[in-house]
Amino acid sequence: MTELPLSRPLSASPVRSDALLYTASRILTIVALAILMGYGVVYIAYAANLIAFPFDYDQGEGFELVDTLLFSQGELPYKDTDVYPFYSSNYPPLFHVMAAPFVPVFGTGYWYGRLLGFLGTLVTAGAIALAVYREGRRPTIALLAALAFLASNTVYHIGPLFRQHMTMVMFETLAVVVLAHMDAIPSLRRRRWGLFAGLSLVLAAGYTKQLALTTALAVFAFLFIRSPRRAIISGVLFGLAGGAIFLWLNIATDGQWWLQTISANVNEFIPSQTWGLYRLWFALHGFLIVPALMYALYELYFSRLSIYTIWTIAGIGVGVLSGKWGAGDSYFATSIAGICLLSGIFFARLLNGDLAVPRNPIARFTIDPLRRAAPIVAAGSLLLVPLCYIGYGRAVLHLPTEGAGFAVIADLLGIEANARNGFYDSAGRIAGGYADIGHFTTQADIDAGWRIVERVRAAPGDVLSEEAAFNLLADKPVIGNPTQLLNLANNGLWDPTALVALIEARQFGLIVLRAQFYPPDVLQAIAAHYGQDEVIAMNGFNYLLLVPKSE
Amino acid sequence: MSRIRKIVSPGFTISKRLLGLLMLLGGVGALLAILAIDLLDAGRQGGIGPAQQIALGAAALIALVGVTLLPLGEAPA
Repeated sequence: MTELPLSRPLSASPVRSDALLYTASRILTIVALAILMGYGVVYIAYAANLIAFPFDYDQGEGFELVDTLLFSQGELPYKDTDVYPFYSSNYPPLFHVMAAPFVPVFGTGYWYGRLLGFLGTLVTAGAIALAVYREGRRPTIALLAALAFLASNTVYHIGPLFRQHMTMVMFETLAVVVLAHMDAIPSLRRRRWGLFAGLSLVLAAGYTKQLALTTALAVFAFLFIRSPRRAIISGVLFGLAGGAIFLWLNIATDGQWWLQTISANVNEFIPSQTWGLYRLWFALHGFLIVPALMYALYELYFSRLSIYTIWTIAGIGVGVLSGKWGAGDSYFATSIAGICLLSGIFFARLLNGDLAVPRNPIARFTIDPLRRAAPIVAAGSLLLVPLCYIGYGRAVLHLPTEGAGFAVIADLLGIEANARNGFYDSAGRIAGGYADIGHFTTQADIDAGWRIVERVRAAPGDVLSEEAAFNLLADKPVIGNPTQLLNLANNGLWDPTALVALIEARQFGLIVLRAQFYPPDVLQAIAAHYGQDEVIAMNGFNYLLLVPKSE
Repeated sequence: MSRIRKIVSPGFTISKRLLGLLMLLGGVGALLAILAIDLLDAGRQGGIGPAQQIALGAAALIALVGVTLLPLGEAPA
């Protein structure tokens, strides 16, 4: 089949205008690199700030720490929530198992979980750079693609949290990068090891967070397209391995694993939340989404579908689930890794002029009329590629407007804080499910947190707190996991009788509320039997401290 | 039967046309299955819900893309 290049390198015609074009391209590339590296500095500063913060920053982080503490003691966190202390986890175990070895050495702390999350994003960025370099041999584009991932507002927000999401994305990205060129390995033995390693990483992603199921489907779709026989055999073995772990967890927890991680995760779907978050995702990442989708179309009609394309499309599709109650913008993180990777490959191959297009019925109507424009495409791409990264850098603008260095840049850019604690963020709440985070914490926040801990420590008996940190730091038991209790209650899977009875009996010396995510029965009992005693502001949220009402 | 045997034989790879056919059949099948939810579950209220509408759109898109792949013949997918 005849193949013609969609674009050609310009080096064949060394005229003066080419030299100017290359110079302009180099300058624009340096600007793009400077912008995205700037976001790298902001990201490192943010990570360092959060790692030093000893309390919950994002809602629910403390319960990830509780899971980690339980694993470090050899306990599974999938427990019966109908009985005291009403606690259970709703996430798979791997991230907490990875953090558990830190507990015997460093004790209770948020920093190691946040450090793991942060390092996971760096590994993901490295894998993206490797994949882009492998396909296009352009180190600058590979670096830009990796930096673009770290510059995403979504990745920035959740990267350095004590949460498992970005570790899942790390395993997913590593899996597709390992599997992408498996067929090119000449040795059968090494090819099988490659397949084993790639599928093990998919399994690791799935046992880090349930959402990785989509990546598993994408991986097997890719394997099926390349070799149905291999996909079926490896799929059966993969299913047996994954199923065995699942079964063991379910038996070991007397069915709580299924109840807490599967049944409880069926939540209300809010379409407006999904559309809002898709709009936000496109507004922030559109400069890379469009090239990534163009490359996906190129592979679909003019080349072979790569695992990267199938995975990215699956990642974009899974964004639909962001409309579930309790879900949010983090559900787009996989697609962001995918679009950074795919757009990077597209840019590198466009600049290399090796996007060959076969003569076929689709090309006849879409590409053939444009073939004469190939030199213009080549010339334009020299400017367009760095301009896309610059445009992306403008779209994801986020930085502190206060503090050494940052204040000067904010003044130069003429931006003012639009988020908490003097932070500017081009992302923002245009729909539910958006995490209002990204700002830096302050010493005042830390002081406020310790004041709450002192109140918890001084309270008689147990304390019911919506965030686990205060109880953990005050050496008191953690009672319940509010969002998990709400998930269960919404599905009719939780009996609130025992916890409500404790509240009605005013057994808790203190109740600490933040977002009031407890089930309605619990909130009504609290309102009837506890009264507000103090409000302490920390990290932009008002923590309500409630004490028992007099009889 | 011999066709299935051929598909699962070593070295077989899916062509653009076969992928298109699978996507077309899968998309149409999914469309019918989504609509069947309302036909079979007569007790449901409110007609085709928002999640169903999204799923219908996705199924239709998959079927449509499948159709566009059919003319590409035996080129490997």
